Amino acid sequence: MNVSQILAFLQETLPSERLEAQEMPINEQVISLPPQTLRPAVQALLEQSDVYHLSTITGQDMDGQIELLYHFWHGGGLTLRISLPRQEPSIDTIIDLIPGAAFYEREIVEMLGVSFLGHPDPQPLLLPEDWEGSPPLRREFALPEEREEEEG
Amino acid sequence: MTDLLDALAKLLLFPGFAFLFACAMLFAWIDRRVIARLQGRVGPPWFQPLADWIKLLAKEDVLPVGANEWACTMLPIFSLAAVLAASVYIPVGGWSIQAFEGDLIVVLFLLSIPPLAYFLGGWATGGVYSVIGGNRSLLQYFSYEVPFLMALCSPAILSGSWSIAQIAARQSETIWGVFLQPLGFVLAVVGLIGKLKRVPFDIPKAKSEIVAGPLTEFSGRKLALWHLSIETKTVVGIFLLVNAFLGGSGVTGLLPPPVTFAVKSMLVLLLLSVTSVLYARLRIDQLANLGWRVLAPLALLQIAVTVWIGVR
Amino acid sequence: MTTQITIPIGPQHPLLKEPLSFMINVEGERVVDSALRLGYVHRGIERLCQTKTYIQNLHLFERVCGICSHVHTTAYCQGVEALLGLEVPLRGLHLRTLMCELERVHSHLLWLGVLGENIGFQTIFMYAWRDREIALDIMEELSGGRVTHAGNVIGGVQIDISDEQFYSIVYRLNDLEQRVEKLLDVILHERTLRARTQGIGYLSPEEIRRYCVVGPVARASGVDIDLRRDSRYAAYGRLHVNVALAHEGDVWARTLVRAREAIESLRLCRQLLVALPEGPTRVRAPRRVPPGEVVSRAEAPRGELVYYIRSDGSDKPARIKIRTPTLTSLITVHDQLEGVETADISVVLSGIDLCIACADR
Repeated sequence: MNVSQILAFLQETLPSERLEAQEMPINEQVISLPPQTLRPAVQALLEQSDVYHLSTITGQDMDGQIELLYHFWHGGGLTLRISLPRQEPSIDTIIDLIPGAAFYEREIVEMLGVSFLGHPDPQPLLLPEDWEGSPPLRREFALPEEREEEEG
Repeated sequence: MTDLLDALAKLLLFPGFAFLFACAMLFAWIDRRVIARLQGRVGPPWFQPLADWIKLLAKEDVLPVGANEWACTMLPIFSLAAVLAASVYIPVGGWSIQAFEGDLIVVLFLLSIPPLAYFLGGWATGGVYSVIGGNRSLLQYFSYEVPFLMALCSPAILSGSWSIAQIAARQSETIWGVFLQPLGFVLAVVGLIGKLKRVPFDIPKAKSEIVAGPLTEFSGRKLALWHLSIETKTVVGIFLLVNAFLGGSGVTGLLPPPVTFAVKSMLVLLLLSVTSVLYARLRIDQLANLGWRVLAPLALLQIAVTVWIGVR
Repeated sequence: MTTQITIPIGPQHPLLKEPLSFMINVEGERVVDSALRLGYVHRGIERLCQTKTYIQNLHLFERVCGICSHVHTTAYCQGVEALLGLEVPLRGLHLRTLMCELERVHSHLLWLGVLGENIGFQTIFMYAWRDREIALDIMEELSGGRVTHAGNVIGGVQIDISDEQFYSIVYRLNDLEQRVEKLLDVILHERTLRARTQGIGYLSPEEIRRYCVVGPVARASGVDIDLRRDSRYAAYGRLHVNVALAHEGDVWARTLVRAREAIESLRLCRQLLVALPEGPTRVRAPRRVPPGEVVSRAEAPRGELVYYIRSDGSDKPARIKIRTPTLTSLITVHDQLEGVETADISVVLSGIDLCIACADR
């Protein structure tokens, strides 16, 4: 299934949005979506196309917002870009649609402080239980060497 | 007085404890060397088992909190003592310290004490790995012990005597038991592998599953005694099989009795070493299946055939 | 016995080569429940790499994992080269792919030995690791390192092969292939090995798809995914890759798949060497990377490896996200352990080819 077909039925599922696909290396197509449309989009992908393999979920702290990228693979790459506000970012979980997303969502919870509504077990995946301090991938979190650079 | 000195010399030196200790170290080295060569490695030098044992003696002896200290100290001693007591009745190169009609039964009984001590050692120390290993060792004991006992009864029935020395003597005069009762020999070897907890039956001390089984929490001198009792049991088991199936130290016309005995013991040891290289470890339920569905009926068959030959 | 015991597998356990914590509840000899805890080897690499330049990060990403170090730098360099718009010369691509395939062989042989050791078949462990030395020696001759090669640079590779080395390497690859064929024979026919691994840890193709499992674990259940053939990165576009598939879905099938993959990798190594073109092995790469994003994928020995790289125009990356294939297999362990015998815990954990340093980063 090529990207224009995918774009077509996604547009059908979400008529209120204007969707377009941008190219990203290597062999990747990116579609930006608002947060509340993620679940219907993923559901549509699973039901109507051959896209089922979620490679990973990337989270990053951009200026002013937290960005989530859902990377899929179906012979070519497909990424869904979601932007969340920095204050209390939250989004619906897709773990019931794609159980393989469990670990990826848990990692984003602990690394960026995003909450996934409906996730049954959002325990930290990699960080210790007694971790204090801001989520490590946020801009507020400075490594010791970075703190030294600022002071020195 | 000289009788007492003679008895002490036999007990402590030859064919007693000192000789058995030396044999235990030697057999352990040969075993490790043969396995290494078959696996494409070089293997340890001759003094390695001795060095390991001395090193263990020098290590700190730690037991977990809540372990039964008295039991943990006495159990390895019981195990070693039972093996050494069994060795009294097994002729080595023609000499045996004691012999009487029915000593085969006594030896088999004494050799079944170490597995029980092993199991109790696991329970006495507590801890998950030890308890699971102890349970497995008991299950394993029930799977191999019955075929082993029955297989060792067949030479007795054939030779018409329940004394090991007599069995060996009669076999060396007529024909070796292994030719008349090959099935019994095979079953006895398989049973010995289970008794000694060697691959494929090293289930109770499966390193990748339960660390070291019942011996996980032992260290220092206690562990040294456990290892010594296991290595001595190897020697005593091999000697028992040589006497029961291979005609003991019977004269083959060419070599003196001690050398014959040594050669036969080496053959059985090689058999044990080669089988530990060839197979993966079985699961406990697979062993129980094997023991009760294959080995025990075959042992019964062997006894039936022996009785039928004897009657005719 | 209806009392439940909790067996702690790890963080310290003879079964595990790296720390990981599984608390497994057993009743008698049957597993009832399991709980996984990762993070014992978490080094914060994704955060750390933001403070280092792209060239320094080469050194860092090679050390994410000891076994699949080269494929990590392959995926990384691929991504950065895409951002820079560089085209790696063909000779460089061949050598890069050659090291990838050699690494696949060494990884699968390592795993076969670990599986043998964990089911009590020490002989297989000794044979497999002895044969693995051939692959490690070849990698050392090419790059100077047995495990971390520093072969990849941004813009190509910094290793090269001379004519004398060529013949010696091909000869040794043939020898290694014969040895691996013998090991495959053992896997196919040795009864105790089959008795311990067949029927254990079954995963159906539907479960593979739902959990998004990759690599030999997926291929052993019949799900045909292989990035070497599907994505044709590096020099794979010039090769025909025969993907090893099996349908039984248990640990024995995974063993078969990995053994066949190792033999296929040796065949691909020979093809790469024979078709090695002349020319440079690298192009110069600027230090600053123009702003952009890239998703770079590679087929590690354990499956699909994903690198997402975003650059902001400086000489340090703004964000790098690594997803290693072991994570996808770890999700399935809970299901695989349901109702399994205690003795099979080690078989299940060995079957998924754990690389915990990869999973933790």
